[in-house]
Amino acid sequence: MTATTWTVAVAVAIFAVGAIGVLTRRNPLIMFMAAEMMWNAAALAFVAFARQHHALSGQVMAFLIIATAAAEVGIGLALIVSVYHRRHRLNIDEISRLKG
Amino acid sequence: MWGVYLVGIIAVLAAVGVVAARQPVHSAISLILNILALALLYLMLSAEFLAAAQVIVYAGAIMVLFLFVVTLLTAGKEEQEAPEILSGQRWWAGGLSVAIGLVLVLILAQTPSSGLGPAGPVGTLNALGAALWGRGFPYLLAVAMMLLTAALGVLVLNRPERPSRSSEPGSER
Repeated sequence: MTATTWTVAVAVAIFAVGAIGVLTRRNPLIMFMAAEMMWNAAALAFVAFARQHHALSGQVMAFLIIATAAAEVGIGLALIVSVYHRRHRLNIDEISRLKG
Repeated sequence: MWGVYLVGIIAVLAAVGVVAARQPVHSAISLILNILALALLYLMLSAEFLAAAQVIVYAGAIMVLFLFVVTLLTAGKEEQEAPEILSGQRWWAGGLSVAIGLVLVLILAQTPSSGLGPAGPVGTLNALGAALWGRGFPYLLAVAMMLLTAALGVLVLNRPERPSRSSEPGSER
């Protein structure tokens, strides 16, 4: 097994575990962290393929993923905090009815 | 080569820790371990600048923000998961996620992969900057606009509800 295959396999495993976390946990903070892990897994796959194909564009994509994740964390944490201020419970089902 | 195996196993174990932890704080700490392991993997894949950016942006800024919000929202509380509204949702979701993983593994098994070969372009700051300001310039502009929009969005989300209420943090309690 080459290093590329192993690294992409690690990325696949992290992505699947993150998907399990997003779909089965109820705490919005933990769901959000699992989603962050899925972003990271995609970036890792990009870097691995950039190394294999000797192309720098994969690393550029990984850099853009890091920047996008930073923006996403700002918005997502602001949403979680504002929902918590209204409902005072950390449960994702509270957000299923998005009304005041 | 053994380093790649070892760091990959650490990254996957930390990922399982993020999902399996009961308290969000433990999740956050596992996520930090996962991010640091990924930064090491980036170093081994000759992406030096990305490894540094991963440590600074993720393990530094983003995780500090996460820990701040976790301590703000869950301090001194015993967190218990609420009963499910949709019955069996967990099992369906878990099965679907495992199916996603299996499909990805199948795709991976069919992808031809040559060995690493000679060392490719090293992702130093110079090389990555040249790529970003060259062919990747539209992406750079898009990311700049997106970050600006995100900052504006956070301001809009956290604006005071009524004009009479003061916008000072902590004054609502």
